[in-house]
Amino acid sequence: MKLVHVDELDRVEMPDGFVWRPVRRHFGIRAFGTNAYTPGATGRIVEEHTENRFEHEELYVVLRGRVLFTVDGDEHELGPGQVVHVRDPALRRGAVALTDDAAVLAVGGRPGQPHEVSSWEHEFPAIPHLRAGRYDEARRILHEALEENPGNPSTLYNLACTEALAGERDRALELLDEAVTGDDRYREYARTDEDFASIRDDPRFPS
Amino acid sequence: MSEGYAILSLDEAERADHRGSHLVPVRHLLGFRPAGVNAWIADTGGQLIPPHEEDSGNEELYAVVRGRATFTVGEEEADASAGSLVFVEPEVFRTAVAREDGTLVFAVGGTVGEAFNPGGWDSFALADTYRQAGRLEEGRAIMAQLIAEKPAYWATHYNAGCFEALAGDADAAFEHLRRAKELDADGDSAQYFREDGDLDPLRDDPRFEELLR
Repeated sequence: MKLVHVDELDRVEMPDGFVWRPVRRHFGIRAFGTNAYTPGATGRIVEEHTENRFEHEELYVVLRGRVLFTVDGDEHELGPGQVVHVRDPALRRGAVALTDDAAVLAVGGRPGQPHEVSSWEHEFPAIPHLRAGRYDEARRILHEALEENPGNPSTLYNLACTEALAGERDRALELLDEAVTGDDRYREYARTDEDFASIRDDPRFPS
Repeated sequence: MSEGYAILSLDEAERADHRGSHLVPVRHLLGFRPAGVNAWIADTGGQLIPPHEEDSGNEELYAVVRGRATFTVGEEEADASAGSLVFVEPEVFRTAVAREDGTLVFAVGGTVGEAFNPGGWDSFALADTYRQAGRLEEGRAIMAQLIAEKPAYWATHYNAGCFEALAGDADAAFEHLRRAKELDADGDSAQYFREDGDLDPLRDDPRFEELLR
């Protein structure tokens, strides 16, 4: 048996304010995706997002404190032992903590498929470094992620962001091209991603 | 609220009795598909999670939402307070006892390398709880739904047979049990037909003989 308290898990504070507590990674779970979240500086506890990219069905359990969930534009104030099940990957969901002690456990996966570790679990640890301008550290983590999932378009895309922000125009364009070749949805994401502001005027930028 | 999402309060949800514990059959109630998810509640302390093992490859995670529980896994014992997460590897005996009234644990399970495929034990637990409360039609509706979802799975027909045997409808029970026997190519059901106490109401019926052949 392995036992850990949610407050003892690693804390990876993300730029939009929530703190990722890696549960699956802590235990080495392979059968399903699961993570915990606690509030960071802004009080956000669950990133506002859809699951369009991974097509995951998700379930959130409030473990502690009060949490205001917004799902598909509806607000729900929930406490310990209340569960949100988001079946439709296209619905926008997110949450803010109403109390500092709030903690949420998330479970997710793609129905009908064996669980695959989401590439973002390898990429998230790079994001705080990326936002703080520590590009070498971000690169190191993303290259490790790429070793775990060679050719993963999401990881290539995040590396492209890193290189663009670090001023490495040629390398950024090369990586972005690889990401778009791997998954055409990144063409759309790149169009509006501020990380690419410095290279968007380049004729090589995917249109 | 749109149909793409749902909210469930574990304290207010339907409960099932399962081997001496109180189960909130979360997966059944919500129709969650990526993993097995359930909750266990002990209103007055005592047994929280029934003693059991999980098959090869089946990983389980327990999250203590409220109260405090003592987990026994294999030879190990550990106290888990609210906010604790307990991971249990496959093929190890596990159980938990609540140390406070109202202890609530959320559980997640799945099999490594396989798409989640619900066995339906949690749905059956709810159906059987309805049966014991005299809510036969609600119990039957769950069994019919399980059979419709997996018409070729012998164990669901077998469980439907147990349900009807205990509900006192011998004709319906034999119909389900015959179908279970037909579908069970590997003969896994034979031991259950011989030993399962759920079938005791049928054992004196001459029709039972053919199930033992």
